[in-house]
Amino acid sequence: MTPNTNPYYAARKRKNAISMALCVSATLFGLTWLVLILATLLWNGIAGLNLAIFTENTPPPNAGGGGLANAIVGSLMLTAIGVAIGGPIGILAGTYMAEYGRYNRVTSVIRFINDILLSAPSIIIGLFVYGAIVRPMGGFSGLAGAIALAVIVIPVVVRTTEDMLLLVPNQIREAAAALGYPRSHVIRLVAYRAARAGLITGVLLAVARISGETAPLLFTALSNQFWNVDLTKTVANLPVTINNFINSADSNWKQLAWTGALLITAAVLTLSIAARAIGGKGSK
Amino acid sequence: MTQHTVKSYEDDLKFLDNRISHMGGMTERLLGQAFDALSRRDPKLAGVAIASDKAIDTMQREIEEHAIAMIAKRQPVADDLRHIMASLKISADLERIGDFAKNIAKRALAIAGESHPKPLLLGLGHMVELTLRQLKDVLDAYAARDADKALVVWRKDEQLDAMYNSLFRELLTYMMEDPRNIGLSTHLLFGAKNLERIGDHTTNIAETVHYLVHGQTITDDRPKGDNTSSTLIQRG
Amino acid sequence: MMTGAAAAQIMEHAKTTPHHVRIAINNLDFYYGTSKALKSVNLPLYANKATAFIGPSGCGKSTLLRVLNRMYDLYPGQRATGEVVLDGENILKPGLDLNLLRARVGMVFQKPTPFPMSIYDNIAFGVRLYEKLNKSEMDERVQRSLEKAALWKEVKDKLNASGLSLSGGQQQRLCIARTVAVKPEVILFDEPCSALDPISTAKIEELIDELTSDYTIAIVTHNMQQAARVSQHTAFMYLGELIEFGETNGIFTSPQDKRTQDYITGRFG
Repeated sequence: MTPNTNPYYAARKRKNAISMALCVSATLFGLTWLVLILATLLWNGIAGLNLAIFTENTPPPNAGGGGLANAIVGSLMLTAIGVAIGGPIGILAGTYMAEYGRYNRVTSVIRFINDILLSAPSIIIGLFVYGAIVRPMGGFSGLAGAIALAVIVIPVVVRTTEDMLLLVPNQIREAAAALGYPRSHVIRLVAYRAARAGLITGVLLAVARISGETAPLLFTALSNQFWNVDLTKTVANLPVTINNFINSADSNWKQLAWTGALLITAAVLTLSIAARAIGGKGSK
Repeated sequence: MTQHTVKSYEDDLKFLDNRISHMGGMTERLLGQAFDALSRRDPKLAGVAIASDKAIDTMQREIEEHAIAMIAKRQPVADDLRHIMASLKISADLERIGDFAKNIAKRALAIAGESHPKPLLLGLGHMVELTLRQLKDVLDAYAARDADKALVVWRKDEQLDAMYNSLFRELLTYMMEDPRNIGLSTHLLFGAKNLERIGDHTTNIAETVHYLVHGQTITDDRPKGDNTSSTLIQRG
Repeated sequence: MMTGAAAAQIMEHAKTTPHHVRIAINNLDFYYGTSKALKSVNLPLYANKATAFIGPSGCGKSTLLRVLNRMYDLYPGQRATGEVVLDGENILKPGLDLNLLRARVGMVFQKPTPFPMSIYDNIAFGVRLYEKLNKSEMDERVQRSLEKAALWKEVKDKLNASGLSLSGGQQQRLCIARTVAVKPEVILFDEPCSALDPISTAKIEELIDELTSDYTIAIVTHNMQQAARVSQHTAFMYLGELIEFGETNGIFTSPQDKRTQDYITGRFG
């Protein structure tokens, strides 16, 4: 019987066509919203994009003009410090789980808790840091914001570090051990090298994750209308600034909020693409 | 014996055994025919015998090609390797035995017209009988992978040598009695020598069977009975 | 269980051969957790000889190999009892410096495992840990090791290229060079050719043959012909037991045990 006349074959083809159509429409549905969001963002944000955004501080209400310089610098600072604290902790913890404690019960407990932390709403982390640092220290501060971000960074980096190290074939560890290398050398010189692309990707993803976080900063770094790099005081940052400006009646503020949102999105997009590019290179 | 995982391997080995036993049978028949042709002065039978040697040669080549192909394809080891080597060696021995038998048939043609004195033929007949029995036994030993039986054949060759010795002396005496007997006697002498050589190849086969079964060559010294190379008849 | 007679025969073999015993394995048992993977194995490994371990999958041959450099110590729940005597010292004794042991007993793995670094560093990597060499000494060591592994000619102009850029066969020879560079006494090969094409396999086999004159070699292989080609002694293992040990020629022409015979002729199971 030829495929054309076989009834089972025809039925199978029909089923295939239906599920294909469903998949394509679901994809299109999702993509449509994504494109609409990006388009709206671009449309609204690009109008306010000029040099002043990067050079001038946030303006007072209804004053017109001004920029986002203090918020951009504040955001970069908080993100950098957050990653500087959370990245190494995450990598070391992930290394312990994948290398030293791979067969321990402790590791599976840590992994379980880490996964919960990974999916915890960021506002809870904000509240935690508020309670743990802001209150005892007597006020909002950039440092508290950076720590809140670090707490978000840690589970992301732990997870990717462990996963990436587990992907390094055991044989390569055995090969290094077989040359008489102690474990710490094996990890530093061989496992890290083999997993380097993955580890960098993990950190970049963590950066992307925290650069748009608003909730944890609301309770910690708060925000600031002025130029301030003192971490013991409140520090201006893009997410909270956007949050504050977008709800105001001042059209200038509204415009700045859109532009800030565009900047964050562009930064996150760039980081994601970079992470993807590095990860792709590593897998070859 | 456990079967090979690859079934065709088994078939290949069986094929070798099959051919060897077939070839052995043909060789036995050829020898029998050659002697019959000699004793009955039957040139026609001699012709049949001579012709059948060709088939034995062909069969030997067939076994050889098959064995070589198996070595190339299957990289045999252990008993398989010994099996294949044994069939190579045994087929070569059988081929030589066929040649010797053919030679006897040729001599049957050469002396077909002459009268044969009975006692001489009787001696040769005994030798043929023993040679045939030895050949049959060693082929059975091969088929049954019976190293002990092969060892018996190997030991028994001494008897054949002894028979050859006495026939040698007899023929020598006969020639000295009457120079007219020299032609016939020489042919018979060569016939006897051929039988003795067949016996040696039979012991070769016996050794091969022993190696095939045990993976070791026979370590005893074989009793040697043929001392005709140092025999002289003292003139009265 | 290996019969006492067989064990005695093997030890007798060790006594009567003129070869020097580099490693003596005495009554070795090995456990993965509670399951016993090796059952009182007795085996000599002769100096400057290659000994092949053959047997069906799961027979314990790789396990045995991994006892010889205590690679199993990397994993929890694995333990060995008995004796493995290397040059008079029991390497199973507690407190032994494993890193030093592994520098003496090198290992080459099934899949080529070049480190993600340059060809030069792949070799210098192991050397730096135990020896302080200046640049020219190190250059020489790298060159000599690569020559020993028959790879020098192919890579001498690209020592800074990544070890991963080499072909599979070259990678495996790089791993051999790396092992040789730390000057071991014993080299263990764990199915070194199973991921390689026939030409690369032939090169590795030739190499093993050459290395035999300087090192004691143990090789695990699934390829019986390879065992027959590269080794002087062969050990056949089955279900965690050493069934037969002897000179390779003997094992492959007239094995004494029926299980050995059935295995090497392809009649197993």
